[in-house]
Amino acid sequence: MSGLSFDNYQRNQYLAAHTNIKFQTTSTGTTIVGVKFNNGVIIAADTRSTQGPIVADKNCEKLHRIAPKIWCAGAGTAADTEAVTQLISSNLELQSLYTKREPRVVSSLQMLKQHLFKYQGHVGAYLIVAGVDPTGAHLFSVQAHGSTDVGYYQSLGSGSLAAMAVLESEWKQDLTKEEAIKLAADAIEAGIWNDLGSGSNVDVCVMEIGQDAQLLRNYRTPNVREQKQRSYKFARGTTGVLKTEIIEEHEIDVVA
Amino acid sequence: MDGIQVDIQHLKKGEVSLGTSIMAVTFRDGVILGADSRTSTGAYIANRVTDKLTRVQDNIWCCRSGSAADTQAVADIVQYHLDLYKAQFGEPSTKTAASIFQTLCYENKDNLSAGIIVAGFDKKNKGEVYSIPLGGSLHKQKYAIAGSGSTFIYGYCDKNFKEDMSKEETVNFIKHSLSQAIKWDGSSGGVIRMVILTEAGVERLIFYPEEYENL
Amino acid sequence: MQPIQHNFNPYSDNGGTILGIAGKDFAVLAGDTRQTVDYSINSRYESKVFDVGDNILMSANGFAADGDALVKKFKNSLKWYHFNHTSSISSISELSEQNGQHKMSLKSAARNIQHLLYGKRFFPYYVHTIIAGLDEEGKGSVFSFDPVGSYEREQCRAGGAGASLMMPFLDNQVNFNNQYEPDSHGQVKKKLEYLSLDEVLQLVRDAFTSVTERHISVGDGLEILIVTKDGVRKEFFPLKKD
Repeated sequence: MSGLSFDNYQRNQYLAAHTNIKFQTTSTGTTIVGVKFNNGVIIAADTRSTQGPIVADKNCEKLHRIAPKIWCAGAGTAADTEAVTQLISSNLELQSLYTKREPRVVSSLQMLKQHLFKYQGHVGAYLIVAGVDPTGAHLFSVQAHGSTDVGYYQSLGSGSLAAMAVLESEWKQDLTKEEAIKLAADAIEAGIWNDLGSGSNVDVCVMEIGQDAQLLRNYRTPNVREQKQRSYKFARGTTGVLKTEIIEEHEIDVVA
Repeated sequence: MDGIQVDIQHLKKGEVSLGTSIMAVTFRDGVILGADSRTSTGAYIANRVTDKLTRVQDNIWCCRSGSAADTQAVADIVQYHLDLYKAQFGEPSTKTAASIFQTLCYENKDNLSAGIIVAGFDKKNKGEVYSIPLGGSLHKQKYAIAGSGSTFIYGYCDKNFKEDMSKEETVNFIKHSLSQAIKWDGSSGGVIRMVILTEAGVERLIFYPEEYENL
Repeated sequence: MQPIQHNFNPYSDNGGTILGIAGKDFAVLAGDTRQTVDYSINSRYESKVFDVGDNILMSANGFAADGDALVKKFKNSLKWYHFNHTSSISSISELSEQNGQHKMSLKSAARNIQHLLYGKRFFPYYVHTIIAGLDEEGKGSVFSFDPVGSYEREQCRAGGAGASLMMPFLDNQVNFNNQYEPDSHGQVKKKLEYLSLDEVLQLVRDAFTSVTERHISVGDGLEILIVTKDGVRKEFFPLKKD
């Protein structure tokens, strides 16, 4: 057998229907965007990860490296975006070594969509794939069911509507790198402020033709926590010691 | 693994769909494919400049409607088969392409929501149009319309289609037809894209709302 | 095709959190000012803690429409209470305020709210209600209610979306739970003592900035209403907007 095991699928369906047990996945209820510019492409993401209404991670990384110059931003089920991205990254590197050629964005896109289509949406990965390769700069989006889109700008995730509002009103043809970074970061900020599933910081990755890709981790940090009013340092001994036990140390000979 | 009951309605929840207006029309010099450019997830327009006219060979193209994921996957597989066919036996005919589409759509009818129009041009058969609706049946037609928007233009197309139209007449016919389909169907919109397949090769056209909205 | 049943859902969850703390001679009732539904923000400034009169603070957190309806009903009830308990003779000493108007006590307000809530036992107000004020002895007092009217007087209570995040912090910092006297080896509990208004205000602000960090439906602004024998005072502090 190869691939994912669906052995527990029926059990989980039964449990979901007849009990109160819920299977919660960490969702990157997210804002992610991608914008092309005159000499390359950039992607950006917020850094909030949620479990229902609770913020699970205030500064998570949603920008994944598929190849040195092909990066993708992930929305949807966190585990799926991570796993699918690593799988394709691995296969793409092997292919690149075998063919002695730089990996292409379209290859990663085709591998992603075929994998996701095979799992009929059960692998909940929504990705914006971008990068530069010998054929130029590229920007795509992939949905969990396996459909793909092409465009000069893309947005995905729960904050995609807020982000798209910015992209649709501010985008123009032939952006410079600086303009594109600002546009993408502004779009992510729209998600951060107006979508509850998104928050904290802005991560950016710039992929420019003829240059190494650069990851700008926490490119903007508009949500630094203010100083607390009080100190919550407890006096030593505030927590009662209920039991003390001293365990003797044993020397163990390790035979080589 | 055996005996898993898969609920299709559930699987397809939240899927990206091409609530579409598509058509393909044969004319004097070949065939023209036309489509709107809207892709939606529920009420949200996921892509307003989609290209639903997809190449499977230089001279054989298709119009996709239904699930975006399903139709892209099917078109990719057909393209693969045709490339293989070409390597072994030479240029495939439009009918061969349509037949591969049909096989995939028919054999996997339980898992697919794909309504496809195949259109192509070759020297021997000139322009041809094949329609493959939901169940996977195959229909050779003079022209074909499909997608959610097509319901609004059956009457218009039936009244206005003529055989052996000129290129300009055909482009106009498609433009007027899709204009009405887009006007009345909420799931269709954006630009009108066309692909013209003739002896001369491939020609692409695009029409913006300012032009087609008040014809 | 199979038939689809459509249902109207009369309730929605508008998020937000409220917090009431009673002090020696004061009480505070605080709430964030963000109103949400699902992943969207309806408003960044919508008050949900009210001065309903007679030195009583009230907030009903959960489904905002029900919350507003409940507060409105109680205000109306209070108005009628005054109509029925106002004497034309203004010099009788039992009447605790001028113009012959009799102030409603906090415990009477609580009992009245219980009846308003239980009156809708089988179509409840979808809210967690907290009121705050001073008791008959002038001590700070907080009452909290479940959606159908069960209530209790407490020193301290958090309600709404972030309550489960806030309450353990309050148990520890207001009621000194799990805190022992140093050197007593967990034998002598830390002695309870009233916190000053300044200390309470600091705790409230820290509680809200913390919950804002970890709960998506809490944020934007913090409105604190403070009640003392001199009346009601308001304070506002901005919270993070992401």
